[in-house]
Amino acid sequence: MNLVLQALLNGLVSGALLAVPAIGFTAMFAVLRFPNFSVSGVATLGAFAGYTAYAAGFQIVGSLAVAFVVAGAVGLVFDKVAHLPLVKQGALPAAIASIASGLVLENVVRLCFGNDMRGYDRPIARDVHFGDLRINPQQTETMGVALVIMLLVFAALAFTRVGKAMRASADNPELAALKGIRPDRVAMMASFIGMGLVGMGGMLLGLDSSIDPLTGARILLSIFAAAVLGGLGSAPGAVLGAFLIGMAEELSVLVVGSPYRAAVGFFAILIVLSLRPRGLLGERAF
Amino acid sequence: MSLFEIKDLRRAFYGLEVLRGVDFAVEAGGITGLIGPNGAGKTTLFNVVSGLVPPNAGSIVFDGSEMAGKSPDVISRAGLLRTFQVARGFPKLSVFQHLMLYGRDQPGESLLTAIFGSRAARDREAELAEKALETARFLRLDRLIDNPATALSGGQKKLLEIGRALMAEPKLVLLDEPTAGVNPTLQNEIGERLLELPKRGITVLLIEHDMGFIAHLCDPVIVMAEGQVLTQGTFDQVRNDHRVREAYLGKRAA
Repeated sequence: MNLVLQALLNGLVSGALLAVPAIGFTAMFAVLRFPNFSVSGVATLGAFAGYTAYAAGFQIVGSLAVAFVVAGAVGLVFDKVAHLPLVKQGALPAAIASIASGLVLENVVRLCFGNDMRGYDRPIARDVHFGDLRINPQQTETMGVALVIMLLVFAALAFTRVGKAMRASADNPELAALKGIRPDRVAMMASFIGMGLVGMGGMLLGLDSSIDPLTGARILLSIFAAAVLGGLGSAPGAVLGAFLIGMAEELSVLVVGSPYRAAVGFFAILIVLSLRPRGLLGERAF
Repeated sequence: MSLFEIKDLRRAFYGLEVLRGVDFAVEAGGITGLIGPNGAGKTTLFNVVSGLVPPNAGSIVFDGSEMAGKSPDVISRAGLLRTFQVARGFPKLSVFQHLMLYGRDQPGESLLTAIFGSRAARDREAELAEKALETARFLRLDRLIDNPATALSGGQKKLLEIGRALMAEPKLVLLDEPTAGVNPTLQNEIGERLLELPKRGITVLLIEHDMGFIAHLCDPVIVMAEGQVLTQGTFDQVRNDHRVREAYLGKRAA
């Protein structure tokens, strides 16, 4: 029983971290209308940008800001150059191009930093006990940061002009255009913010363990599964999906062992697409 | 001078010329029908005129100003509004919110007015709310005013599209198949509402495939085929034109 509770607690922590890139992924899908798989490379890039900033003396929050800006800017350039010109031909060509972009970014990072695992050099802290449950103060800190980022994103989507323009353009680009919302600008905004969130997500997940050029590739499936489970294009859905995937992954370790952890994402996508293709909180397709 | 005049309007997609030099004019104060077989370029024409798709060449003069290449919001604000064939709207907004959103000179929601709420903005909102109610009553949507737009029937969604255009105080509205997929009762209702518009100083240009509807409402009727205007005239003139029959049915076998 305690093992299950501990797994659920760990799942809540990793779910909160996963939610950040999942919101970015789903927001980009909502506006740009294609699944952007280059998030694998962008998450790695964000993790290493944040790592470099942290090693240079920035605090966690400052390093996350660096990860956001670097990942957002590079992600935006790849979208503009490689993906958006292809979206006119359909979602699939753009999605395939984005897989290639992810590989390019991953290998650029490999070229600069090598294949070694690296850890953020954080002070060691003793676990806090709640009865038999344990949690590390560093985990609570990263989880708290992730929750604050989520709140900021939701506030921005709900209350700012940019957020409203993004939601309007996602719902109905033509009607939004009649009201003066420029689709190309909204696309660039969505790309920058979405990719920035993915970069921060790469760093947040790296803070919890270690980073290497494959960091992004390992979490890609979990991000995608969280977004599909919650309903592609729905930001609250991505958060819900991320927590469910995080907990399911931790629980799967108890049942089938850690080598099969990666299968959880595939399994979740399979179930959702067979039973409820629009996802838990997704809009019905028109 | 005509309210609306387009000259030699051209647009191609991937080398296929969809609009091959369209010329026609619409005079103020009537309901003009735009008909033609599928693929004639009618909806593309609306997309170009409303600014969603820029033209490759040609001119669009509306109310004395050139509109070709202007952005959709500039064209809307000039008083040229269009509706969409597939009336999707915004899924999460109610009928009332849709109408409010497309009101003319909507004060908008900048952060400053949201916090301090200027009196001018509040007064304008109250005016728009009054107009939204009046528009909903005119279209018989007042009972549904707080319903989400997704809960409306297909015909009611079409009415809401018209309402959205009316809220912007248009001089000319372009209606893309206002009665497609609508049951006959509601179709008559929409027709009656449209006949009211010229009395309110609103000129109408509508695409429609239902010839009974066209015959009842529209004079003149413009016929497009293969990206150009084939002919125009009263419904009876157009109906008896052999070129129009050929465009719809093909040439008679020799």
